[in-house]
Parts: sequence; C-alpha cells; structure tokens
Amino acid sequence: MKGKAEIHEFVRELLTASGDDGPLADHDSLLLSGRLQSIDAVEIVVFLEENFGIDFAQIGFDRDQIDSIDAIYALVQSAATGN
Amino acid sequence: MVPQLDSPKSTSQRLAEFRLIPRLETFPWAVSYAQTWLGKAIMLALFGLGLCFFYPNPLPALLVTLIIAFMTFMPEYRHILLAITPTVVVVMQSLKDPLHLVLNLAVIALGGVLYWCAMRWPKSHFGQRPVAYLIACFTALILSACAATPHTLAYSILWNLVGLVASYIWFIAYALVDRGSKPARDLPMEVATFRPLWGSSNTPFPKGAAYLRRIEAQNAEQLAIVQLKGLKLLAWAILLFLFSNLWFRFFHGYLSIPTSDQALAMSVHGTPVAWHLRWESLILAFFELIFSVSILGHHIIASCRMAGFNALRNTYRPLSSTTLAEFFNRFYYYFKELLVDFFFYPTFLRYWKGHRRLRMAFATFAAAFFGNAFYHFTRDWQIIRDSGLLKAIANYEPLLLYNTILATGLSISQLRKRGPRPVGLFRGHVLPTFGVCFFYCLLSVFETAERTYPLVEHLRYFANLFFIHF
Repeated sequence: MKGKAEIHEFVRELLTASGDDGPLADHDSLLLSGRLQSIDAVEIVVFLEENFGIDFAQIGFDRDQIDSIDAIYALVQSAATGN
Repeated sequence: MVPQLDSPKSTSQRLAEFRLIPRLETFPWAVSYAQTWLGKAIMLALFGLGLCFFYPNPLPALLVTLIIAFMTFMPEYRHILLAITPTVVVVMQSLKDPLHLVLNLAVIALGGVLYWCAMRWPKSHFGQRPVAYLIACFTALILSACAATPHTLAYSILWNLVGLVASYIWFIAYALVDRGSKPARDLPMEVATFRPLWGSSNTPFPKGAAYLRRIEAQNAEQLAIVQLKGLKLLAWAILLFLFSNLWFRFFHGYLSIPTSDQALAMSVHGTPVAWHLRWESLILAFFELIFSVSILGHHIIASCRMAGFNALRNTYRPLSSTTLAEFFNRFYYYFKELLVDFFFYPTFLRYWKGHRRLRMAFATFAAAFFGNAFYHFTRDWQIIRDSGLLKAIANYEPLLLYNTILATGLSISQLRKRGPRPVGLFRGHVLPTFGVCFFYCLLSVFETAERTYPLVEHLRYFANLFFIHF
C-alpha cells in the first residue's frame, strides 16, 4: 500500500494548497466535485509520470482516471501490471 | 472527557457563511418535502414562473418546465425525453426551411457517425485524435465556403453547413472524447447533449454525456436535493438580473456614463470622452460582463439541475479570485473546461515533457491563445462570410492581442501558483484580487463587441487611459 499512501499524501498537499482542509476519504471525488481544479489535475499527471512512469499520451487521458485516490491507485496498479 | 466548545465565529467567518438565499438543500424537512407530490409540483411551478424571466415569449419556458415535470415524476424516461425533445424542437423550428432542416439533421447524424467511428476504430489515427480531425475538417469546410461563388446553391449550402457545424462542433467534440468513458455509453444521452434541453451557448453546458451520466441524481432524495439547488440558482439569477437592470439604469441612465463600446466609438470618431469617464466605463463593463455571464450560466445550470443533473455552476464567486488562472476558472467555468479538454490536455500530455515550465506555458498558449482564437473566430462565422476571410482575420487583430496577453498572464499565473502565498487580509486577498480585476479590466479594451475598429484604435484608447496620446 506504499503507493496509495504516497498518493494520499500528495492529494492532501494539493487540497491544502487550495485552502481545503476538509476530510479526505480514498473514494472521495476530487475533480468532479470541484475540490480540485484543472491545474491540480495537471499536478497529478506530472506526479504519476514522475513517480510511477505512467505515460498518458500512450494510455489516453480521462479525468475519471484521477478523480479519487482509489481511481488513481487503480490506474497505477493497472499500469504496473501492463493492462 | 473535556467537552468541546464551539469557538466564537469571527466576523469574516460569519460573512463567509452568510447566504442571501438559504441553503435549502441542507434542511432535512425541505428535502423530504421536495420528494412529495405536492412539493414537486410547487417546485416546478416556481421554476416555470422563474424561467419566464429569461424568455421574451413564455411558451418555450413553459415547454421546458413541462418536459422537466415529466422527468421529475417519471425519472425512468429522463434519457429518452432528453434525446427526443431537442430534436423534435429542431424539426419544428426548421419546417419552413427544408434545406436548413435537412442540413441540421445531417449534422446531427454526422456527429453520431463520427462518434461511432471513434468507438469502432479506437486505435486508428482518427480514433486517437478525433477532435483534431474535427477541427481540421471544419477549417476545410470554412475555406471551401470562402471559395464558393456567391449567390449559387453551393454557396448557400456551404455557408448553411458552416453555421450549423459552428453551433454543434464543441458538442460533437465532447461526444468524441466520451468514446472511452465509463460508465457505459448511452446513445440517447450522446444525442441529447448535441442540443441540450436546458439551452447553451456555443459552449456545451455542462460538457458532454459522460459528465452528465456521472452527475445524474440516482434516487428520489438526490433528485430533491439537486432540484432545490436548481431552484435556488434560478432565484439567484433573477436577483442578479434585476440588480443588473438597476445598475445599468443608474450608471448609464441616471449618471450618463457611456458604455465601454460607446466610449471606444467616440474615441475612434474623434470625440473622446473625459479620462475619468473612460475609466468608469471600463470598470463598469468589467462588472457588467460578470453579470451577463453569471445570469446566462445560472439560468442554464438551474434548468439542468431541475432536470436531475448536479452540474457545477458556470460562474462562482469570481471576485474572490486571487490569481488570473483562478478568475478564468471561476468566471466562465465551462468555456475554460472546453479549452482545457480540447487544447490544454492534448498538448500538455504530448509535448515538451522534459521541460516542465515550458510544457505548462506551451499548453496554456495552445488553449488560451489558439483554442480561444479558433473558438471565437469560427463562432462569428457570419463575419467571415460577409467580409471575406482576409478582412475577417484583419478585424480579429485586437482579439489576437487580447489572447496573447491573456495566455501570457495565465501562463505566469499557473507557473507561480505553487509558490508560497502571501498571508494576511490585505496582502493575501485584497491586493491580489485588486490586481486580478485590474488586469481583466484593462484587457477588456481589446475585447469589445465591435469588430470594426483596427488594432491601432484599441491601442490608442488604451494609451489614452494613461494620458499617453498618439
């Protein structure tokens, strides 16, 4: 679960930087709910590229893929297994 | 156990929590009542009355209310009603013009075919970049129309097509990017979003079918909550509408301050208004633009929410923005989303990956400069038809400068976003907000409704604001 903890910490930082100190559950919507903005989605993309080697130009990009910590973790796992 | 006491609220907290319209959706009794037959009927009646404010003829407002009433009492037919009614309205509106009707249906069908092709061949070049193909084909269509001989059938067909594609292009584009979305695809919803029941500008409100599926109310309680939010938003739109009317009468009627367009026109015609009136008209225009965009977005999103979709507001507290990027996001959310979805992300994910700052700036320019310019240039296709392509481009010079400054400002704003923020009320909020408003006020000199004046006139007017005359 190391990856998930890292993701959680990173998302928490993004929320704090946006002035959102509210509770954060792994299934909470981040972008669709408006808690994070497009620019934050960019930060998540870069974070996943740099830390997990995910190339969105290859796998395609949909904001649903990064809308919650659970979704991000599922994406990381599927990238790691090559699915 | 030490009992926790609520700390006394500060004035700023109380102000932040104050609501002119109470948050009805958080009151359990209101949510329960909104689920009863009578509660639904009262909400729909209030909605119908409120919607009439925004239509010169109440008939369309009543029609929309009637369809939403069907969806409220029979939510299982929501998708099919959404898909059928706009198409029926298009057919009824175009009955007197068979050519327009045929072309209209052809464009809707074309959108459906493109969507099907993108799904059928996802690994093809078209399947990988369907929106880029769409934009390229639309550009080719405009060029073909420009080359057609006036007063011929081909000319008429081509320009009719240009007009129709211009009004549908971003809706079709959302359908194309929806091709791989989850939950499962739903053709009626894709068709519904080509011309949404709740209305729209050329910018799809609120985005495409995939987004609608995700924000749809799933049960009676969710529907009650989202409809209460819709009703509140409509009430807010009406208040803003009434306030903006008073504002206009007071400043432009009673005080006789010219509008920004009038002040520019007087400057061009050699009878410039006094310097303080130039500034006043510019500041007023900034607020008036916020009013008009808010009112438009609020009444559309209110209708969307009444139909059972919990869409985010198009305009949300723009004057609380402390950065240029935040203002752009808060001022016209769905247009910003359009630029981000179709121009920013595709560029950001493909180019300059090894250069983080350059990558961000390049993608921002792709969206705020190229995307913004393409959107407005093609939206106003009548200017291209009436003036010719080259003259239309020449008339577009002020807006190109506008887009350049905007893209530069947004790039800097985004690159600075992650730095430490100043603290304190004045340095942390008042000063940055003033700076943001000042930037957009000045920028609006290059974004007037008039497209008849050359760039130099806009530059002269801008310089005159600072007592520089040439």
